[in-house]
Amino acid sequence: MDFSPVKLDAEQQKFVDEVRSFLAEYVTADVLEEERDTGSGFNERVHLALGQKGWIMPTWPAERGGAALDPVRAKILETQLRGSGAPSVTLSTTGLVVKAVEKYAEPDLAAELLPRVAAGTVRFCLGYTEPDGGSDIAAAKVRAVRDGDEWVINGSKIFTTGAQNCQYTFLITRTDPELPKHRGLTMFLVPLASAGVEIQAIRTYGGERTNIVYYSDVRISDRYRLGGVNDGWTVLRGPLDQEHSFGASASAPIGDISPGATWLHTLERALDSAIIWASTATAADGRRLIEDRMVRYRLGQVALQMEAGFATPGPMGRVKGSDALVHGAAELMDLVGPAALRSEGSPGAEVTGAIEFAHRFAQGTATYGGTVEVFHGIIAQHVLGLPRPNYPGSKQLVTTKREPAPTPA
Amino acid sequence: MDGFDLRYADYSLSRDQEAVRDAFRDFFTHECPTTRVRDAEPLGYDETLWKQLADMGAASMGLPERAGGDGAALVDLLLVAEEAGAALAPVPFIEHVAASRALAGASGASGAAGLLADAATGRQILALAMEPADRLPRQLVPGGALARHVLALDGGTLIVAAAEQPPSLAPNQGSTPLAWWDLAGGSRQELAEGPDALALYQAARAEWKLLTAAALVGLTERALHVAVEFAKTRETLGVPIGSLQGVAFPLADVAIGISGARNLIRRAGWMCEHEPAESRRLVPAAFAYATQVATHGATTSAHMQGGLGFTIEADASLYFLRAKGWSLLAGDPAEDVIAVADALVAAAAGR
Repeated sequence: MDFSPVKLDAEQQKFVDEVRSFLAEYVTADVLEEERDTGSGFNERVHLALGQKGWIMPTWPAERGGAALDPVRAKILETQLRGSGAPSVTLSTTGLVVKAVEKYAEPDLAAELLPRVAAGTVRFCLGYTEPDGGSDIAAAKVRAVRDGDEWVINGSKIFTTGAQNCQYTFLITRTDPELPKHRGLTMFLVPLASAGVEIQAIRTYGGERTNIVYYSDVRISDRYRLGGVNDGWTVLRGPLDQEHSFGASASAPIGDISPGATWLHTLERALDSAIIWASTATAADGRRLIEDRMVRYRLGQVALQMEAGFATPGPMGRVKGSDALVHGAAELMDLVGPAALRSEGSPGAEVTGAIEFAHRFAQGTATYGGTVEVFHGIIAQHVLGLPRPNYPGSKQLVTTKREPAPTPA
Repeated sequence: MDGFDLRYADYSLSRDQEAVRDAFRDFFTHECPTTRVRDAEPLGYDETLWKQLADMGAASMGLPERAGGDGAALVDLLLVAEEAGAALAPVPFIEHVAASRALAGASGASGAAGLLADAATGRQILALAMEPADRLPRQLVPGGALARHVLALDGGTLIVAAAEQPPSLAPNQGSTPLAWWDLAGGSRQELAEGPDALALYQAARAEWKLLTAAALVGLTERALHVAVEFAKTRETLGVPIGSLQGVAFPLADVAIGISGARNLIRRAGWMCEHEPAESRRLVPAAFAYATQVATHGATTSAHMQGGLGFTIEADASLYFLRAKGWSLLAGDPAEDVIAVADALVAAAAGR
């Protein structure tokens, strides 16, 4: 057991300063405002500058385009980046896919892409979810059919966040509909510049831009296949398991253990704002609101759920992180009242904007990377050992074609 | 809580800590089946079990070596409390440990040496008054129906109040040895004054709360275990009920609470020793969360056993009744929720 502050040596302290001055230079107020407006999760100038520093793949050796950071420096970089509010969605999806590329891509493809990933010119997004599939990734229906040395891809994927900023999508496809559903899948790295790829924007009220991506007779070379034909589930598992941990420390137990910690930091910012608000706002009798025991009870309840979230590990932490944010942000909204409704970034919302944002953003966290219900299933079966439910589509690909509902007369 | 501070987040147990936990787990598993818990009702005390536990060193391990103890850290005591809680052990471990450690801390108190020596062997049971005696002279004291000595804070003085015999049991939902003590009069000995007295008393209360929180986590985990085993075998519509999401998901929610509460309690316990400023936020957070997790967990676990979980014959009843029975011994947990906010506000003002 050890929860002490990490003691930084002089070199590491210098690294903190280096990261801070980098972020001050690149993550400007304009960048943050653009991110608020576009929800793009990406800024090319910032990304390429990170690449220059070797900080896209920070633990890679310099000859591979990394910065050979030790775990403590890597953690410093990650923490400072998060604190700066730098757009990071594409950085993180690229990081998830890169391991599968290292492991499964043909050597010449890997040699072509990996240096560019480190430099920032090649970026990856996740092509998992389908419009009618939700979190059941293994039920993918996007078809890939072999044609000589090529594959022809048809279908659509939804929530391919960052596709407009990426060169490749990590696409899970159905190559054999007759096999059991987890075995008829094949993984590709599909160049998004290919003919027949159409990217359409979808906006969320969390402020993010995501996409629906249509694939119409998209032809790609077999060199873009990752892993064996019909072995796509194996290729997917690595990045998926890592995504499920949402960047929680795996090796050195430094920083956050909860897979939901990123979201809890959003709640932390909202809570800090609420405390500032309650410490300055006054009630009708002139007393500061923070002197009201009910106000402190409500703040305390949000805070302790947040603390519990930070302490909750594994799939439990993924659910708790989202729950604490969803309920906590809603409670802080109620506490502040109508003033909390003012949009983040608008005049007068300097303090409470973080709460307004947290409340909108929270809703997505219950779905990102698999819904909280998926994780309840994981906890029930793998942590508690409860029997697995036996649904028609558990093992087989089930395509239910329903008759269209009769048109009302 | 500057998001830029890097901290270690190592919740793992050392080998020694695992050995302590395993030893007490084995002990309670063998010696304290739920039949023994029932036999000890309504007082919630099994004298033989307490003697066995004291023989294992449980009463003294948390005392400094000069007081005949092993100098165990609070986090080690939390491991024992969790195992005792899981077994619903009818022993006054928590109040005795919290009070004895405060007594040992007031080392200047002459004449307390004999009492401390008897406490170390478990021959004298000590209890702790959870409210200051000047504010609440007559109060329900946890373990007060077993103890002849109760530590209390009276107007800035740390005292040990004594009685010829422990007062009689105040029968209660959790079948714990709760009793009314009148701390205003009667025989007493003064242990410490001023800031020392306050610090010792607050530390004892904080330790009592964390130990109780740990016991609640143990209780909830065992309640969940019983419900999970039931859900694996009980069938409806031709399938085990545990395969149904309506049963499995609520049980998963209980597991979520337990895993976070356990870690939060350990972190708070570690902070008590290493960074008291952090503990001012984390101890009330850990305690309040544990009470919420226990109430929710015991309720859900009982309910997943349907009508059977509502019967006295079912062990679910034991967990249900103690979940609240232990949570309220120190008053309304809402006070701890407010204390979390107080600590945050103080920290924000200091920044």
